[in-house]
Parts: sequence; structure tokens; C-alpha cells
Amino acid sequence: MNLFVNKRFSSRLVWLLSTLAAALVCAALRRWQLDSAFEAGAGLPIPGAQSSVILACVLVMAAAWFVLLALGQPVSKRPWTEGQAHRWDLVFLDAGDPVYPILVVLAAFLALAAAPVLLPMALNQWSAYQAAVQSGLTPPSSNGVLSAATALGALLAFLGLLQMGRDGLHPGRRGKGGFSAALPGIAGCIWLMESFRAHAANPVLWDYAPLLLSIVCGMLFFMDFAGMSAGAARPTRLLWLAAMTLVLSAVSLTSAAAEGGWHDLLLLAAQGLAAAAVLWRLPPKLESPPQPRGISIPQRTGESSIQEETDDE
Amino acid sequence: MENWDSELNQEPAEEQPVQAGEAPSGAKTRRDSSDGKDLYLNVRVLVVIMAVFVLMFTFVARIIVVSGPSMEDTLWGGDLMLVWSLVYEPRQGDIVVLTQESYQEDSIVKRVIAVGGQSVDIDYYSGKVYVDGRPLEETYIKERMQVPHYGEGLNHVTVPEGCIFVMGDNRNNSADSRYPDIGIVDTRCVIGRGVAVLFPFHHWKGL
Repeated sequence: MNLFVNKRFSSRLVWLLSTLAAALVCAALRRWQLDSAFEAGAGLPIPGAQSSVILACVLVMAAAWFVLLALGQPVSKRPWTEGQAHRWDLVFLDAGDPVYPILVVLAAFLALAAAPVLLPMALNQWSAYQAAVQSGLTPPSSNGVLSAATALGALLAFLGLLQMGRDGLHPGRRGKGGFSAALPGIAGCIWLMESFRAHAANPVLWDYAPLLLSIVCGMLFFMDFAGMSAGAARPTRLLWLAAMTLVLSAVSLTSAAAEGGWHDLLLLAAQGLAAAAVLWRLPPKLESPPQPRGISIPQRTGESSIQEETDDE
Repeated sequence: MENWDSELNQEPAEEQPVQAGEAPSGAKTRRDSSDGKDLYLNVRVLVVIMAVFVLMFTFVARIIVVSGPSMEDTLWGGDLMLVWSLVYEPRQGDIVVLTQESYQEDSIVKRVIAVGGQSVDIDYYSGKVYVDGRPLEETYIKERMQVPHYGEGLNHVTVPEGCIFVMGDNRNNSADSRYPDIGIVDTRCVIGRGVAVLFPFHHWKGL
């Protein structure tokens, strides 16, 4: 099934519109669920609540729709140059498009902003833990170490995202920009552990499962992003993960905003923006990838020439 | 999904001649890229394993560390217990992990004495617990039950539907459904059922 076969809509437009629409609908459903699907006071879930069922169904339908879009995404099959089949990172190193680097740099600073929120939290947890231990009381479940590690992870994510944005502005000769995405992916692992620990005693899955799923989706998204420059490119899967990261982040952002979880909110916004940047940049570049400057690519009969070039420093 | 783009990942089998305009260090680039790919694949495996573990712990089963003496001699402080949480409905006699926020934010481990619709009567003088008028055969309790320091608490009750009455096996050192801050527990507060003690190995057993 090729949804783009008649070219009535550009793949970028379809991906962005679909994802943003799904994100908005799911965020609205999550808001409805928070208002209607939990008992006042105790916060326990109301069994079979309409909003919970509809939200789950819409998320599954969105995932299926993105699978269809990914399967129909036109991808240039031609190797860009001999021996350069792995250079899928070039799609992110193409200068002249300010939207991608702006989004990614903004995401970097959102990740950075999470660190000063997490550090005082970690210090408070550490103090409370030590006080409980010294007074012989049962210590709280967190001693603050994972929160501090998550702050460190936010810094790593900042550095990785900043490098990705910088590569979008001033592309280098080799594709290291995509590999920087591994840093937010690794930071996501620490964030995932911290989030799981923080909710491990919560029996209400709906309180935190969307957050964990969005972090997992974001981690895998960043790792696939990194794979683009490591000879393990899976560009259409990357598109799917980017779309799902954006949608799940929108769902989790709604609850994080309601609960006042500022570090979650900032990190979710960061990964959502990075996903939006990829959805902006990747679909058109998969159809007509850029090539390194100075490398000629033999034309195939009936195939349009590749116009884009990257700037080498 | 794993095979969506397999075609895109094929590296050339042989060293290709350097073309006009190509970077002269093309061979080096490819070797570096191969090293980078190995590193990337290893990191990706670790990230995927982490994701799978956390999702499994969230939705299917998790491992918790027992804290406190309330379930002695069945469970000891420091024991690692495997807890099954996927599609679980509490039954009488099960050991469950639950969270009652009116008592504390952390989860607690107790045994289900009665489920919704059953009546519980605790007779401290005979040290017996009666469910629906019949005394329980409790081979698992640590010692004969006495009146707890907070008084007799909740000792004659019919458990509402959708709730459970829980007690610790160490009856004289356990805050459980008798304790007013805990009381009858909603089944939606149950995280899962204790399945086995995994560690230390000399405590290993099914529950």
C-alpha cells in the first residue's frame, strides 16, 4: 500500500499533519481521562472508563496508521555513491533548511533546563534519606542517586542534541551528527530507570505507563537516529518511532503538566521537538537524498537528478 | 518492523575504487564506520534490553525487596521476591504486594485473608481468625496472635466487593487490615501476587 503514490501530498506534509493531529487528539483524550477516569481523592482508576478505552484505541490506531505511512514512504533505492550506502546521515547534514536545526537546538536547551530542576530534587531526596537512616526510621525508597544521574543524563542529552543541531547548521564532512543522537538515547535509559523507580509502588498503571512508553519510544527513536550515521540505517522505522515519540510525548506532557513534574515536562518536550525535527527533515530527503559535494552520481534512465548538495567544511 | 529497511543497510562487499572527487581517505572512512557500527550495535542492544526489562517489570512481573519483619517466617527482610502483576485477581491465601497511600507511599507485602463478600472475625483470646464463620488453618503464622499495641482494631468485618482483608504472617509485628490507617484494601491497590523468593538462594521457594 503506497499512500504517496499519486504525489497529491508531499510525504512531509502527510507525516507532519498525521502526527500533529494524532498528538493533539491523544493529548485531549488524556486530559479527558485525567478529569473523568479516576476516583476523586483516592485516584484509583474507574474500571472500563470510556476515556481510558478510547485513548488506548486511538493510540493503537495511530501506531497502525504510522506503520502504513512508513510502509508507503518512498525511499531512494539508489546508492548515493559507491561505498557510501551507509551515508544516510547526510539527510541531517544538509544546510539551507533552518527549521531542523532550530527545533533540535531548542530541544537541546529544554533538556539542559531539566538538569537544574533535577539536581535540587536529588539533593532533597539524599538529605531525607540520610536523615531517616540516622534517626532509625524506614528510609524513603529513593536516595537521590538516580535523580542526580538523570540530571547528568539531561546534560548528555543537551550535548548530543546541540551537536545534532550544529551539524544541521554547519555540516561537517563526515556524518557524526546522527551519532550524537546516541547520547540522548543513553540519557533516556537513566530517565527511564528514574521514572520507573519513582512510580514502582504506584498500583495505577495509567498514572505512569504513558510516561514510560514515551521514554522507551524516545530512546529507541534516538538510537535509530544514531544508526543513520553508523551503517545501520532504518529510516522508515525511524519515521515511525519519531511519530510515536511525538504522540506519546504529547500524552505524557498533558499529565506531567497536570502533576507539575517539571523535569518530565522539559525532557518530554525536548524529545518531542527532536522527533518533530526528524519528521520535518527526513521524509523529503528519503525521496531525494543529498550527496556529498564533488561526488558525481550516474543518472539512471527516467530518474530525476539529485539537486541537493551538502557543504563540506 | 525489524526488516523494514534491511536493504538500506547493506555495505559493499568489496573495497570500491576511489572515484573522482571522493575523499582520498575513503577506505579509512569505511573502516572507521565499521568500528562505529559495532559500537553502535552494542549500545543499541543494551538500550533495547533496558527498555524490555522496564516494560516487563511494569506490565508483567517485577522483583521487589522485602522490607520489615511483618511476613516472617514466610518472607524475611532483604528477600528478593518475584511479583506477578499481569491480569491478576487476588484470591484468599495469596501473598500480595499492595500500596495503601493512607498508610505509606511505599508498597507493603501481606497475605490475603478474605476477599469481597466474605466476613472476617478475629478472636484474640483463642488466637484464631474466622472467615465466613470457619476457623482458618494457618500453618504459616510465626506465633500465636495477641492483641496488637494499637488495640483490637478492625476485627469483625464483612469485606465489601472489590476489596480484600490482608494480614501479615507475623501477626504480632504487622500493620495490616486490622490497623485503622490500612483497613480494608481496594483490589485496585494491589500491584501483584508474590510468586517466588529468588534471593538469597537458601530462602528460595515458591509462594
